[in-house]
Amino acid sequence: MNAPVGHYQYDQSDREFLAARIDEFSGQVTRRIDGSLSEDEFKPLRLMNGLYLQLHAYMLRVAIPYGTIDSQQMRMFAHIARRYDRDYGHFTTRQNIQFNWIKLEETPDILRDLAKVDMHAIQTSGNCIRNVTSDEFAGAAADEVVDPRVHAEILRQWSTLHPEFTFLPRKFKIAISGSPNDRVAARFHDIGILARSGADGRPVFRIFVGGGLGRTPIIGQEIFDAVPEERLLATLEAIVRVYNAHGRRDNIYKARIKILVQALGIDAYREAVEAELQQMDLEHYRLTPEMVDAIRARFAVPELSAPDNASQELSARRETNPEFDLWVRSNTHPHRDAGHIIAVVSLKPAGGIPGDATSAQMDRLADLADEYSFGELRITHLQNIVLGHVRQDRLYDLWQALKEVDLASANIGLIGDIVACPGLDYCALANARSIPIAQKLGARFGDATLQAEIGALRINISGCINACGHHHAGHIGLLGVDKRGEEFFQITLGGRAENGASIGTILGPALPEDDTVDAIARLVDCYLGIRQRGETFLDTLDRLGDVPFKEAAYETV
Amino acid sequence: MKLFELNERPAKFHEALVTLSELAENTEARAVLLDIADDATALKPYLNRLELVVLRFPIFRDGRVFTQARELREYLRFSGEIRAEGHVLPDQAAFLKRCGVDNVVLPEGSDVELWEKQLHRFPVAYQRSVLPFRPVEGGLRIEEDS
Amino acid sequence: MKRPVRVGAGEKLVLTANRLLDGRIVWRDHDGHWAARVGAAEKLDADAVSDVLEEAQARAQQDGVVGVYEVAVRDVDPPEPVTVRERIRAHGPTVHPEFSVEAGQ
Repeated sequence: MNAPVGHYQYDQSDREFLAARIDEFSGQVTRRIDGSLSEDEFKPLRLMNGLYLQLHAYMLRVAIPYGTIDSQQMRMFAHIARRYDRDYGHFTTRQNIQFNWIKLEETPDILRDLAKVDMHAIQTSGNCIRNVTSDEFAGAAADEVVDPRVHAEILRQWSTLHPEFTFLPRKFKIAISGSPNDRVAARFHDIGILARSGADGRPVFRIFVGGGLGRTPIIGQEIFDAVPEERLLATLEAIVRVYNAHGRRDNIYKARIKILVQALGIDAYREAVEAELQQMDLEHYRLTPEMVDAIRARFAVPELSAPDNASQELSARRETNPEFDLWVRSNTHPHRDAGHIIAVVSLKPAGGIPGDATSAQMDRLADLADEYSFGELRITHLQNIVLGHVRQDRLYDLWQALKEVDLASANIGLIGDIVACPGLDYCALANARSIPIAQKLGARFGDATLQAEIGALRINISGCINACGHHHAGHIGLLGVDKRGEEFFQITLGGRAENGASIGTILGPALPEDDTVDAIARLVDCYLGIRQRGETFLDTLDRLGDVPFKEAAYETV
Repeated sequence: MKLFELNERPAKFHEALVTLSELAENTEARAVLLDIADDATALKPYLNRLELVVLRFPIFRDGRVFTQARELREYLRFSGEIRAEGHVLPDQAAFLKRCGVDNVVLPEGSDVELWEKQLHRFPVAYQRSVLPFRPVEGGLRIEEDS
Repeated sequence: MKRPVRVGAGEKLVLTANRLLDGRIVWRDHDGHWAARVGAAEKLDADAVSDVLEEAQARAQQDGVVGVYEVAVRDVDPPEPVTVRERIRAHGPTVHPEFSVEAGQ
């Protein structure tokens, strides 16, 4: 088999490191079972390796660095789902995959299976630097200026078992993008990085700090506008060092870096970071072009070649098949190569569970990736799957194949493309179930023509204030709350994660599940009635404010 | 008190530990117990006479100790002894060593073999630390002297 | 993390935990054993619960369970938890009926 494209290729030394990490974890499991580690001691250690104790069982979160995997790795997920779980997995908003029915005693075996395809669960949870996320269209999008995956890999390596930053006050999430169109929600991360080309041909980085959703949603602020590549690691060390030393540890709800940045102010935080940088031996922390190039050399690049008439063939198919045309409109993105296109496979079938995939679907996606996209797959932060390099003249065949396995929903970026956390059906922290209401909304708006008519509209659902469903960033956000042991939902409007990020505002009192679904249906009807030509939901909301929507939503309640 | 040595430096015992605030008046003091909230760089005026800095984990999850140790080594170029004590786990042995800690006061009931194993568990690291190192085939990876 | 449990009229308390080895939910029965079905749980009065809870927590490691706490249930047979959360724990995820506790999974 050819080297997989799109992600870093391990060598013997990387594999030995991973094997050592699994041995270490396996020993920790043994010590927990024999009682030499208490649950209070074991919990941070197991979380650092992605293992949660959820409502019904243990849950294992496996890292998908910068969201990119190859077909062999996808098949291994299918194997894990069949062998150790209940035949499915759940792709998350941080581009990872979770298995919901895991046994503690089996986790070392699972990790050894994953290691056979160079995968792991390192730092997918815990108060450490988490798996680094990136642009799902990296290396393929027409609008990209720098492929962020090489630097995402550098950050993954740098943060792996970092001796100083493995016991931070709280979790720490980094995202990196190389496109002027922010597809990583850079300003909703502890550190968000936007790469662009520098004058010397090396990239420079704009860095935001202190963003995040959760209990206290805050939009990240720019700390540096143009960090040169060779200073990238030094700068990150300094930012995290200030946080490790001064972040609050007395209150878990105030422990994220965003609270520290708010307390100090961005200018004082920047000064503190600069003071660190002045004391640091910058040569010691220098990220040299040679180091970057050595890592870049481990990434295989797809050899793109398409027939001259590839685009015409695609156009012809679209003209003769309206259903295909509808799918192409919502589920593709322009590729940097004229004969290719980026295809997004929706994991949001009408009435289905957002982000879930069965082992059979995973196997089929792996086959399709081999057949159509150099064996490469990406997981999006909206819980879908991307085939990044599809020849335009073969897109129709791909679509046909997806239809056969019910993976051809034409709803990317539309109202059916709902993001939902696992909610109270699985999660020990949740106050309400997220999935059933997502299923009801998905079914209500399932029709592809209706979705196209409604246009760009994102619904995000979180089962509690921790906001794993990113409800603050949804055009329509739903937050599950507990009222005397029963589930209610609070509606927010106007959130967005892209350029011009903002946090949604609360529309009114929380409603029970079915009333919430009805309220959203009326709210969408209201939008269809009052929008002007060419307006998206957000455009109309920005023009008129939330008063008409509030009246519509609460009219009969 | 049972010590576990993370490196070759032989641990020395000191009769008395003083706090950071006592250090200014007590000009005889050679060993200090830094509070978890203290800024390590506050020790700068006393570096010439300090032989031992003790860092104390209130709980093993409190990672400030690692930054304190690293700042002592990197910013202050402190070449004396650094010791960690308090609630600390063998799983943290290599992290401590890589941040510049020389030895650890073992909590009661510690398994010395496990500490030893944890110290040498990983053949490579993906970031530089305060220890001498050799790069491994380009990229970020290094091997360290241990 | 201890949440206060309100015990209303016609309600009792039962003890629950997760099994250490596989994480599955268990309920403490009359003999102090941990059972997979909420129906086996011993119903306790509010004033009796703290002693039993304390003992169960002290024995958690040797009994192979984690996170022992009390849950309010309606005093019927089998006992039915009062909150949505505990009903989902007792019966399984609502979105996968085939994985319900009653289905024997």
